[in-house]
Amino acid sequence: MTAPSTAEADADAADAHDAWPAAAYARDDGAGARNRLLVLPSVICSRLVADRIADAVPGAVSAGHDHGCAQLGADEEQTERTLTGVATNPNVAGAVVVGLGCEGVQSDRLAGALADRGVPVRELSIQGVGGSDEAVDRGVDAATELAASAPRTTAADLGDLTVGVVSSDLQASTVDCADPLIGAFVDRVVDAGGRVVVAGTERLRPHGDAVRETMAEDVAARYEEVIESSPSRTAGLTRRASARSFDELARLWGERPVRDVLPYGAPATHESGVALVNAPTEFAEASTALAAAGAHVVLHATGDGIPTGHPVVPVCKVTGDAETYAALQGDIDVDARTADVADLSTLVGRVVGGERTRAEEHGLTTFAISRAGPSM
Amino acid sequence: MDEFEGYRRPDGTVGVRNRVAIIPVSVTASSLAERIAADAGDGVVATPHGMGSNQPTPAREQTRRVLRGVGRNPNVGAALVVALGTEAIDADDVADAVADAGRPVETLRIREAGGTAAAIERGVDLAASLRADADGARRESADAAELIFAVECGGSDATSGIAANPAVGAAGDRLVAAGGTVSFSETPEFIGAEHILAERCVDDETRERLLDRVEAREDMAREMGVDLRGAQPTPGNQEGGLTTIEEKSLGAIAKGGTTPVEGMVDYAEPLPQGAGLVLMDTPGYDVESVVGKVAGGAQVVAFTTGRGSTTGNPVAPVIKVTGNPKTWDRMANNIDVNASTVMEGESLSAIGERIFGTLLDVADGRRTEAERRGLTEFAINEVQPTTGGERA
Amino acid sequence: MKGTVVGDALVMDAADAVATALDDLSAGTTLPPTEGTPVDAPLEVREDVPFGHKIALRRIDAGDEIRKYGEVIGRATVAIEAGEWVHTHNCESTRGRGDLAAAGGDA
Repeated sequence: MTAPSTAEADADAADAHDAWPAAAYARDDGAGARNRLLVLPSVICSRLVADRIADAVPGAVSAGHDHGCAQLGADEEQTERTLTGVATNPNVAGAVVVGLGCEGVQSDRLAGALADRGVPVRELSIQGVGGSDEAVDRGVDAATELAASAPRTTAADLGDLTVGVVSSDLQASTVDCADPLIGAFVDRVVDAGGRVVVAGTERLRPHGDAVRETMAEDVAARYEEVIESSPSRTAGLTRRASARSFDELARLWGERPVRDVLPYGAPATHESGVALVNAPTEFAEASTALAAAGAHVVLHATGDGIPTGHPVVPVCKVTGDAETYAALQGDIDVDARTADVADLSTLVGRVVGGERTRAEEHGLTTFAISRAGPSM
Repeated sequence: MDEFEGYRRPDGTVGVRNRVAIIPVSVTASSLAERIAADAGDGVVATPHGMGSNQPTPAREQTRRVLRGVGRNPNVGAALVVALGTEAIDADDVADAVADAGRPVETLRIREAGGTAAAIERGVDLAASLRADADGARRESADAAELIFAVECGGSDATSGIAANPAVGAAGDRLVAAGGTVSFSETPEFIGAEHILAERCVDDETRERLLDRVEAREDMAREMGVDLRGAQPTPGNQEGGLTTIEEKSLGAIAKGGTTPVEGMVDYAEPLPQGAGLVLMDTPGYDVESVVGKVAGGAQVVAFTTGRGSTTGNPVAPVIKVTGNPKTWDRMANNIDVNASTVMEGESLSAIGERIFGTLLDVADGRRTEAERRGLTEFAINEVQPTTGGERA
Repeated sequence: MKGTVVGDALVMDAADAVATALDDLSAGTTLPPTEGTPVDAPLEVREDVPFGHKIALRRIDAGDEIRKYGEVIGRATVAIEAGEWVHTHNCESTRGRGDLAAAGGDA
């Protein structure tokens, strides 16, 4: 069984028109670029049930993951925080939380946190309803209750956005071509008063002093506490990152000052400008962190052409690599060798307004959460 | 003579199923594997996971070992290894393990196929042709001694240690007597009972390894500065009456029966055939733990549950056993064996015989409830970096 | 079944300080004296004990080890009277105590 394709999730793909302001869904606290009904398993043991529920309900997507039990302290908190954050993303219209019943990240507690944050939510557990067959049936009922097609009744401009950004590798085409293109768009977003969140912080490890210099003192202290104190899981990548200068790496976010540092899975709360989130460059984990931070859309610089999308946020794939673009043309949204920032801005506007990204067209998504401790 | 009918493989092992496995080398190819399996139809399964990208060496090595082990499992009739094409774990490396075990195998790289849509189409075609290849295999007579029987407990409650686990242990003793291998794992669930297992170890090396691995698990809680409770025992364990890890462990080890502990292997390391009772060092986390033993070559899994775990595995049939009469009632569609009859007077050895009989039936081809529902959960344990250096 | 049935409860070993409820037990239920177990006089269950949970078979002092299966399963965090429910509110583990290690104590 596979997660339902996001290609079916949005029935209202926008026609070609001026990209900005983009037509968007109204939310209590802003706007959404998508109107996803999220079927969210609290634990790996309920992920297949969640997939089946989402498959059966038009407009629903599932976010199956491998965690939710046998986790210690800060590691369990991180998983729970992330699930909460993803379900409160502006692109989510409502959520059905599905648990097994005996797990660490209890489904009713998770649903309660979502209800507290104003997310329309239903909850059930496999053990609570008496089995997986029953859980699929009840889950479909619950999701159908929540699913309502809504019109796009508001408009979002650059300044209204939270844009997630991640660069997956240190290839020359990425650092010298794709990153700066994204960075130029970040400039526009920040100039307009919008928010940007940057994942993929292992690359910054060798450049601690330089990073902190772009931050106010309290933010620098947070950077040390949140990012530098956690053990590096990718020593090789960190080592290679020392071969590039900080300025080169910072082009990804337009070399703007960093206003905040977020723990993995936490929502962005800064008013505008650039924040870093403690997330790896591995795309599935990075995009989840960006979704939990509240990103409406994610820009992904990838020299390898990692093609997978995300169930909750549309992802624009940007590459500067000729071979990759030739091999994976159907999976790449932007050829950074030839596109300029105006092109990228137009694309993002159309995507926010409903046009499907390449990843949304093929519909393959991965949802993964970074761990902060061992499975027990 | 305890026999079953299984698929004899060129490497001498016997499978109880004849799956076509779609194995992604990394998280990047994981959803592709799931999609190919979904579109390719019956008998084609995927082993999706979140590993294989930017992993430091110890973690990458463990991932590689799991993928190769799963591909070689006797239940795999053929395999398709899928990748983006740029990962540190090479698709050919995993495919070679499958080929060395005498099964048909193909590789598929998204970059070579021309992108995702083309890879899905190509993958489904390859899966169909691999399915045809695998269909040439026929079941033939095999001895129970050729079984590696994995035993797991999850969603445990107080009935696990009283009924389900000792009953499964009795079945395991039966298989050991018949010349087979029984493996249980879940190292955190030795904490508080390890002295009992230690006494049954046949040599010092096994005993030292066991005690060392238990200490390593306890150290993990120490390093995180937290009480193990909450992770172990879980909220469901506690609701079901298990108060401490010691109590849980004392009940848990009963599922391994009463025979001597012949050895202990690492996560996803090969389990020896015809070896009696062999432990594997895994987390207690069910899905990762079962995957470790299946990667080690286990063909069938018995999984005891008090609260009602519903998980299965794509490669090996999982037999669910409960000692909780309410769970048997409520969740009959997800449970295979009722061990709660012990409370009505049926002896543990009689239930053990029933479980042993079920083991042979399932080996012959009878589908478990998890199989009938396509419940095929899969995850790979990730080696975590620690402040004091890498450790499994 | 392993262990000895004592009314609606099960005692796993003669050295045990607790029995396991085989049904939801209401306060007032009596466990009969049974040979081969620590219950040598009628024991009144003093509070509701859910199915699968434990009942103290005798007084357990704070800090004392508690045995089930003939082995230590934890220690009492407060004094426990015979017939009381024994669980996470009055019984703690002696293992995996990273919290104690973090606070500078002994695990």
